[in-house]
Amino acid sequence: MRVALFVTCLVDVMRPSVGFSALRLLEAAGCEVVVPPGQTCCGQPAWSAGDSAAARDLAKKTIADLEGYDQVVIPSGSCADHVKNVYPGMLADDPAWGPRAKALAERTWELTAFLAEKIGLESVPGRFEGSVTYHDSCKGLRGLGIKGQPRQLLSRVPGLQLKEMAGSEECCGFGGAFSVKFGDISTAIVDRKCDCVAAVGADAVVGGDLGCLLNIEGRLRRRGDERTKVLHIAEVLAGEEPN
Amino acid sequence: MQSQAMFFRARAAEKVRNPVLQKALEKAKPLFVGKRAKGMESLRDDGIEFETLRAACKDIRNRVVDDLDVWLEIFEAKAKATGAEVLWARDGEEVAELVVDIARRHGVKKVTKSKSMLSEEARLNEALEAAGIRPVETDLGEYIVQLAGETPSHIIAPAVHKTLAEVADLFEKHHGKPRHEVDSANASSTIPAMTREAREVLRQHFLTADMGISGGNFLIAETGSVALVTNEGNGRMVTTLPKVHVVVTGIEKIVPTLEDFATLMRMLPRSATGQSISNYVSLLTGNKGAEDRDGPEKMVFILVDNGRAGLVGTDFQPMLRCIRCGACMNHCPVYFSLGGHAYGWVYPGPMGSVLTPLYTGLENALDLPHASTGCNQCGSVCPVNIPLPDLMRRLREQQVERRLRPWSERLALKAWAWIARQPALYQWFARRAARYLKWLGGKEHRIRVFGLAPGWTEGRDLSAPAAGKTFLEQYAARRKQ
Repeated sequence: MRVALFVTCLVDVMRPSVGFSALRLLEAAGCEVVVPPGQTCCGQPAWSAGDSAAARDLAKKTIADLEGYDQVVIPSGSCADHVKNVYPGMLADDPAWGPRAKALAERTWELTAFLAEKIGLESVPGRFEGSVTYHDSCKGLRGLGIKGQPRQLLSRVPGLQLKEMAGSEECCGFGGAFSVKFGDISTAIVDRKCDCVAAVGADAVVGGDLGCLLNIEGRLRRRGDERTKVLHIAEVLAGEEPN
Repeated sequence: MQSQAMFFRARAAEKVRNPVLQKALEKAKPLFVGKRAKGMESLRDDGIEFETLRAACKDIRNRVVDDLDVWLEIFEAKAKATGAEVLWARDGEEVAELVVDIARRHGVKKVTKSKSMLSEEARLNEALEAAGIRPVETDLGEYIVQLAGETPSHIIAPAVHKTLAEVADLFEKHHGKPRHEVDSANASSTIPAMTREAREVLRQHFLTADMGISGGNFLIAETGSVALVTNEGNGRMVTTLPKVHVVVTGIEKIVPTLEDFATLMRMLPRSATGQSISNYVSLLTGNKGAEDRDGPEKMVFILVDNGRAGLVGTDFQPMLRCIRCGACMNHCPVYFSLGGHAYGWVYPGPMGSVLTPLYTGLENALDLPHASTGCNQCGSVCPVNIPLPDLMRRLREQQVERRLRPWSERLALKAWAWIARQPALYQWFARRAARYLKWLGGKEHRIRVFGLAPGWTEGRDLSAPAAGKTFLEQYAARRKQ
C-alpha cells in the first residue's frame, strides 16, 4: 500500500519529530510511505479566517499533491478533518475539483484512525515508562470520531499506564488564530485544562494535534510545571524523543 | 438593549480578570454540563436516543421556518378566533410603542413580567419607565438583575454571574431587612431563606399589577396558544392575575401542533436544565371566558420580527430553529471564561456570536464571530442541530467579502496563501522560520516573549524547535545519506 504522509505545516516547522514518528509507525505497519515533496499547508487557517478564495486555492493545490496515492495519512485531527470534512463541501460547486476533493476525502486518514482501524496495528515500536493522560482534540473528536483509537494504541505501548483526566473532551483553548487574537481568553481556557492535567498527576499529556499540545505545554511551563511532558501520540507510539 | 458588542475585546479583558465573576462561573459550569448530560441519559429510560429526538426536533422547527409566512397566518387566525388580539412589530421600538400604548389604554401603572429575552431586545423596561409605568421582573434571576440595574448574562440563568454574597448585599439594600449571613457552609439554608424573602416582596407586586408581560417558549399554530416553560411559578402569576396579558415573542417561535410541542418538550427542559420536565408548563389560550375563574380579560400577542424574517432563505436560516435552551453557552469554553456581559448585547455565547451581528449589523460586532475556538462543543449539544461554528465562520467570510477586516490581516492572509502555493518559496520561508525560532528559544528551547504573536506569550511560553530545521529539510537530508 502506497501511503502519502502529509506532516502538516505546524509539524514541519515546530516539531519535525512528529513527522518522523509518523513515518516510522507507517513503515512499521508495512506501508510504502511517500512524503510528497511539494506539501505546504492544507489551507485551514484561511478557511477559518473567512478567506474562502485563498482556502479554495490551497485546497486545490493540496488535492493535486496528495491524490496520486492509495491512502493519505495526517498526524493531526484538525488538518485531517479539514481535508475529509471541509474540502468536499467547499469545492462541491466546482465540476472539476468537486469529485477530486471527494475522492481524496475518502482516502484520507488521521494517523491513529489509520493505524487502529485500517491497519489494525498490534504492536508498536515505542515504550514509555510511566503514566500518560490523553487530551481529545476537538476536530478529531467531534469531527472525525477519534476517541477509542488513540487509547487502543496507547494500551499497546509497553510500560505505559493511561490515566484519564476530567474534561478530556473539553477544548484546550487553542483554536488556531484565536490563541493569538484573543490570547487572554485562550489562556484562561487552557488554564482550566492545565488544572485537570495537574489533578490527574500523569507523567505526560498526550494528544493528536500539535496546536493543542503547544498550547498546553506553553501554559504548563508558564505556570511553573517543568515536570509534565507534553507529547504527540506519534512520538509516544514510535518512541521518538521530541525535537 | 443598546449593543456594546463592538467593545467585546476590552470587556473580555476585564471579565477574564474579575475574580468574583470567575468564582461564580466556576461554580455554575459543572452544574449546567452535568445536569444536561444526566437529563439526556434519562431519555434512554423512555427508549429514545438523543440523535433521534434531535432529528425530530430539527424537523419540526424546519417545517415552520421553511414556510414561516404561512404558519404565521395560521397562528394569527387561530389566536384571533380565541378572542386574543394579534399585533405585529417590525423592531424593538415598535414593540415598546405597542406595549406602552396598550398599557395607557388600560390605565396601567404597574406591570409584572416573566422572563422575556425579546423584551431585552426591545429595551422594554426603559420604555415603560419613561412612560411612567413601573415594570417589575418576577423571575428570581431577572429580579436580582433588575435590582442591580444590570442586564441578564445568560438566557435561562440571568444572574449566573452573581455570587450569593452579592445577592445578599442587593437584598439588604432593596428589601430593608437585615442582611443574610452568607458563607459556603450555610449556603443550603441561606438560599431558601433569601428566596422566601424575595417571594414575599414579589407577592405584593403580583397582587397589585394591572398588566402582565410574558415571553413565549412556543406558539402553537393549531390552537392559537402560547406555551410557557418555567420553574418558579411566577409565569402563572404574571399571566393569570392581571386584567391584561401581553405576550411578546419572536415570529420564529411557532410550532404546528400540540403533538409537535410535546416532542419539543422532551428536549427543551433536558437541554436547558437537565429536567425531564420543568416545574410548570402552561398553555395559555385566549381571553378569560365566562366560565373561567381566572385569566386575563384581555390577551394580546405582539409578534416581533426585529431581523428574523431577513434570515429566511439565507445561509443563516438554521439559526431560526433555535429554541433558546442555553446549552450552547453552557458548553462554551469562551462563555465560561467571560460570562455573558462581555458579548455586549442580549444573547451571549455561541448563539449570540451569530445573532448579534445578524440583528445589530455585521460591522457593529466584528469580534464576535471570531470569539470561538471552533471546538463545536456548542453544535454537538444543540437540541436542533444548528451548526453554530459554521455560521460563525460564514460571518467571518462576509466580513472578508465586505472588507471589514483590517487591511493588514487581509494582506497577510493573501500573501501567506500565495506563498503556500509556491512550494520552493514556502519551504525557504519555513526553513528561515525554524532557524529564527530556534535562535529565539535559546538554550532552553523556550520562547517567553514573541513579538510576532504577543497574544500567545502573554500567558504562555512557546516551545521552540530544538533542531532549527524543518521536517522536509531533515527528511531530504536523510534520504541523501
